[in-house]
Amino acid sequence: MSSLIKLENVTKHYGTFQALKKINLEVDEGEVVCVIGPSGSGKSTMIRCINLLEQYDDTGKITVDGIEVQKGKNLKNVRAEVGMVFQNFNLFPHLSILKNVMLAPMRTRGISAADAEERALNLLRKVGIAEQADKFPTQLSGGQQQRVAIARALAMEPKVLLFDEPTSALDPEMVGEVLEVIQALALYGVTMIVVTHEMGFARKVADRVIFMDGGQIVEQGSPSDIFDNPKEPRAQNFLKAVLNH
Amino acid sequence: MKYGLRFLKTLLITIPVLLWTLSVYGQSSDPIKVGANIGNVPWEFQDTTGEFVGFEIELVKEVSKRLGREVDIMNVPFNGLFAATQSGRIDLAISSIAITETRLKSASFAQPYYDSDQSLTVRVGSGIASIEDLRGQIVAVDTGATGDMWATENHEKYGFAEIRRYEGLAPAMLDLTIGRIQGYISDIPAMQYYAKDKPGLQVAQRIKTGGSYSMMMGKNTPLVKQVNDVITALKQEGFITALHEKWFGAPADVNTSTVKVVDMPAADDGVILNFVETFLNTQVFLDTYPMLLMGLVTTIQLGVLSIIGGLVLGLILALARLYASKSVKFFVKAYIDIFRSIPLLVLLIIIFYALPFVGLSLSPFYAAATALIVVSGAYTAEIFRAGIEAIPKGQFEASEALGLGYRHMMSDIILPQAIKIVIPPLTNNCINVIKDTALASVVAMPDLLKQATQAQAVAANPTPLIAAAVIYLMFLLPLVLWVSRLENKFKVGDK
Repeated sequence: MSSLIKLENVTKHYGTFQALKKINLEVDEGEVVCVIGPSGSGKSTMIRCINLLEQYDDTGKITVDGIEVQKGKNLKNVRAEVGMVFQNFNLFPHLSILKNVMLAPMRTRGISAADAEERALNLLRKVGIAEQADKFPTQLSGGQQQRVAIARALAMEPKVLLFDEPTSALDPEMVGEVLEVIQALALYGVTMIVVTHEMGFARKVADRVIFMDGGQIVEQGSPSDIFDNPKEPRAQNFLKAVLNH
Repeated sequence: MKYGLRFLKTLLITIPVLLWTLSVYGQSSDPIKVGANIGNVPWEFQDTTGEFVGFEIELVKEVSKRLGREVDIMNVPFNGLFAATQSGRIDLAISSIAITETRLKSASFAQPYYDSDQSLTVRVGSGIASIEDLRGQIVAVDTGATGDMWATENHEKYGFAEIRRYEGLAPAMLDLTIGRIQGYISDIPAMQYYAKDKPGLQVAQRIKTGGSYSMMMGKNTPLVKQVNDVITALKQEGFITALHEKWFGAPADVNTSTVKVVDMPAADDGVILNFVETFLNTQVFLDTYPMLLMGLVTTIQLGVLSIIGGLVLGLILALARLYASKSVKFFVKAYIDIFRSIPLLVLLIIIFYALPFVGLSLSPFYAAATALIVVSGAYTAEIFRAGIEAIPKGQFEASEALGLGYRHMMSDIILPQAIKIVIPPLTNNCINVIKDTALASVVAMPDLLKQATQAQAVAANPTPLIAAAVIYLMFLLPLVLWVSRLENKFKVGDK
């Protein structure tokens, strides 16, 4: 199986501060990777490099489906293949729920309004918000908004979905509904990289768990490897802290 | 952008009338306050030392001396003399003011001391020798002066393309020299004197209008009779004839009013106009409102063009300032800073009077529109920039992550949200642009204010100015109220 996403020696500096240190990572098609680790460990920075929301240093290289991720003409194509779901949803407040989901496919894939609407309604049904299609984002709860954001990302039929702490901004009672949607996607075989603090979710859904600290991938393996048998002391300490919390 | 001040200033001069009038009457030991359109050669102008000199300056000084009073001369534009006299702001006006029936309705004159005609002044070598040659050409006049009245009456007869109205001689002569106007119609003595040492200009034709000049004073004030009696004495002594010889280089004809003692022009009906008749004169309003409406149309056309142009330019500048390359950003920032610092009036004068020397001669309308667009573009750019910067970063990231290009990100996501934020400040800016159109009157553009000043000079009554103020209010006040409502609405939304 060929890897869909490939990071080779990816580093990232903010001035003199090094946020990522020689990250090497391959994600296969259909694989679900969960990224865990303490705050400031570079998890978000790493996945934001994959669609170039952060510019990584010249020395590294990232490819998505064989296309190098860099500034220029190809960037739009790469981004169309890489869906992203943000911590703060980032829905477009001036557009209805339906329009939020319809917009990008119409603008970038040249799909007719009628087709885009049909597809959007299908996706909203999948995430359980179809009846709210004509409302505006601020009229929805946080959990509902995040489900819309997932539908919006899916509307582009991306090859991979990036989740940047998708439940961190949610009230606790809404976390479940969002995780359920992501879990369902995993079952469909959607390739995903999920940065998360939800350890139970990671254990249940992930094919592979990556533990990051200090801008490095410290340890990776199957959920049981990481959660039951962590080898690196830093991973052990982190997991002890979050699991016994 | 607080340049609508000119208009306010005119109002402020006219409004405190009654108080002033009361305080001024009967205090003969005070200096006589004289208003004169300085620059009106050879009647009243500044010599190289800055001293006011001229035929009428010497005359008014002599008259005051004979009356045992000091004299205090101030510079007032021609079309401002009427409101200034009626309001008591000045006691007496000089500026080769022709005695007319209309003017006698609201002011009094002493006996005339000069008989004049109008004249046509042209550029040497322009091929224009008489009024007939001006068919289809642009002629110019001084706002509200006798030349203006004559040209307006004969507009159709001679088929002028346009009558352009200036404030004072200097700007009109500049435009005549560079060929923006083809002829200038004004009092013959002034033009002969002016053209004397200007080889590029010549007085091509005398236009027989008749008309006599005198000093204008508040209606039926005691000063009128006093001044008239002194003038009688000065004529008998030969003082005025001597003045004529000094300033025109030849003695006056014995049959003219410069030599002969004549009757004081009869006041219209002997009634001093009260406040309402002076400022809210129905008849004057009915006579002049078509002119005001024409001015309003011009003001709206100029305002709308400038607002749209300013919005487009501002948006482009804002986007360039935020997203262009470093060097472009630098120039855009410099542009914005410079044009927010330059007073609009200065810019307008530069565009109108200086650009022709590098071969770019814009009509008054387009010169004014250019100045307004250039400046309001700078302000609008800052408003748009603030609006765009107020959009959360997540909106940009979400758009980028979805693969939307820059154009779609802006047109579909960022600008629609920014517009809501910027509507109140943009509307404020639009109000300012519309008020600033009043400045266009300095480049002889017949906007609402210009038409109103002309109308008040012709009617010798300030009612048209009040009417113009009401018209400005009528279409700006709703905008102002709308902005306040919007601002309140957004405030509530923030809570």
